[in-house]
Amino acid sequence: MTPTRLYLSNDTSSRAAGADKLADAWRDRSEIQLIHTSSRGAFFLEPMVERDTAGGREAWFNVLPNDLPRIVAGVGGTKVAEIPYLQQQTRFTFANFGITEPLALDEYQSRGGFKGLAAAQSLSPDAIVDVLRLSGLRGRGGAAFPVWKKWQVAQQTESEQKYVVANADEGDAGTYSDRMMMEGDPFRLIEGMMICARAIGATRGYLYCRYEYPAAARAMQFAIQKAREADLFDCDDYPFDLEVVTGAGSYVCGEETALLESLEGRRGVVLAKPPYPAVSGLYGKPTIVSNVLTFATLPNILANGGAWHASLGTEGSRGTMALQIGGRVKQPGLVEVPFGLTLRDVLDRFGGGMAPGARLKAVQVGGPLGSLFPESQLDIPICYDAFAGAGAILGHGGIVVYDDDTSMVDLARHFMAFTADESCGKCTPCRVGSVRGREILERIQMGQGDLEKIEWFEEIGHGTQPHGFFSRLETSPSSHHDHFDSLATCPDPSQ
Amino acid sequence: MTTGHNSKLTDVLERCRPVPPASPNILKTLLAVQSALGHIPTSGILQIAQVLGVTDAQVAGVLSYYSDLRTQPTGRHLIRACMGESCMANHSARVLRAIQDHLCPAAGDASQAERFTVETMSCAGNCALSPTVMIDEHLCGRVTPSDVPSLLEAQVLRRKTEG
Repeated sequence: MTPTRLYLSNDTSSRAAGADKLADAWRDRSEIQLIHTSSRGAFFLEPMVERDTAGGREAWFNVLPNDLPRIVAGVGGTKVAEIPYLQQQTRFTFANFGITEPLALDEYQSRGGFKGLAAAQSLSPDAIVDVLRLSGLRGRGGAAFPVWKKWQVAQQTESEQKYVVANADEGDAGTYSDRMMMEGDPFRLIEGMMICARAIGATRGYLYCRYEYPAAARAMQFAIQKAREADLFDCDDYPFDLEVVTGAGSYVCGEETALLESLEGRRGVVLAKPPYPAVSGLYGKPTIVSNVLTFATLPNILANGGAWHASLGTEGSRGTMALQIGGRVKQPGLVEVPFGLTLRDVLDRFGGGMAPGARLKAVQVGGPLGSLFPESQLDIPICYDAFAGAGAILGHGGIVVYDDDTSMVDLARHFMAFTADESCGKCTPCRVGSVRGREILERIQMGQGDLEKIEWFEEIGHGTQPHGFFSRLETSPSSHHDHFDSLATCPDPSQ
Repeated sequence: MTTGHNSKLTDVLERCRPVPPASPNILKTLLAVQSALGHIPTSGILQIAQVLGVTDAQVAGVLSYYSDLRTQPTGRHLIRACMGESCMANHSARVLRAIQDHLCPAAGDASQAERFTVETMSCAGNCALSPTVMIDEHLCGRVTPSDVPSLLEAQVLRRKTEG
């Protein structure tokens, strides 16, 4: 009898949910053949097991080892195409997730892989930049800078050596899409970096991966080796090579100048700009530093055209966004949707409501230096302009939902302590201000808060704004401003 | 630094010695030392600086900057409770307390300190399965305080059988 092919995700989070236990338990079962895929991102259903049927894949959710007989018998499965969480998404960048084996190059190619690079090879560097201009793609790491502008500068700067660097220092708590991309579809990232290399004339690339992602770094190293063996880097007489470099636990290294300092082996301290890395970056050479997902978005744009990408999303925010929902919701996971849905839509459609017994208090978007939205402000559209208008940032798409068990003072203290720990120390307002801010919040935690302390706190917020090199840190205290306004008059600040 | 450490350090540094025109990379070297020795003894700073052709202040500067570079050995098992925001929202503080309660019955017990190092981390990237605990290289998700004893036993035993 031919063994039944079962698909099980090998993503780090799927394994943490129990996929590794299933793999262990079923290793010697001759009636099945286990295929290790990436994850669909519906982590509340993990560990999830799928098998082929005449009507497409069927899935079993939250599987335990002794569920095997019913899966093999084909009893009780759900059609993957009918899972509402997946049905309502628009998957382009994450189209392969849950379907392919991440390190199978032939599978990536058979599903349209390297078509974007082939399209880029038929274009002049100027024409590639034009496609990007038309696409409206903005950097996905958080700064949301138009990608084509950066590329044009790097392309027009003359140099015998240029570099492409993927920023995989995914430090915002609540985000994991870069990790999923590196583990789940590494060739897409490689292809994106190669497209960028051709556009600017770079022959060398680096992937700067955070220390906390050992599985992602291994997957990328393996994929790079495979690409090298398949002569993908040398196609068309255009040499390129790629190396994975590991960080060592510094949040600020997510900022591009600090990242390049770290890549050269020094302290990851933020440098003054200009010069921008596109002019003078790694070892003083023109360098494009972009987030993993920015690169991973490129293959589809080149393959389908800039106009295709521009047809998705909203006026200033073209394309799709990978949102990562976490915290106290029923259905945490990764969601790819076009820009423009409101935060409330996303939470209702995908988050599935609050965890049992939990009541929504605030929703954090954009990582530790992002913003908190109370229930009354959830109708904000998810796009760069609406967020900028509200004085917030979309960041890397992390959404964390808090319930009323979370004290906002504790949370504020957590953010301020994080900023104090992670400040690179370059600028006094951040280095000293974050420590003073933490101390003030600790006083408030002890019930010693008063109006004067809140005023000091606000002053620190304003003080850091115009003076910091690291634009993300500037947003730290002020974005939580509204919460502190209400703290000043709150009789019990722990509420 | 023990003699064993000394010769290991010399071996690692030999492999990291920059070959011109490549410039010395302090962080990469320190990560290589840590991977070989488990930590970076501060007594080795001068030797590292000499091999790389940089000042000992530059080496010490990089060493103190990055939180994942360790100057002290860890216990045989490294247990890290994630304190990222999604974990925090899901009561990771209670999980951390359960770990500390389970592992530290008598404060200052040296044999216990040799076995376990308990730390927090800012985000493991496992936010959809929070709260997260990382035991050595193994990531555990949806951890409740009552899971902690069995989880620790299971992972420690797993390591023993694998090792």
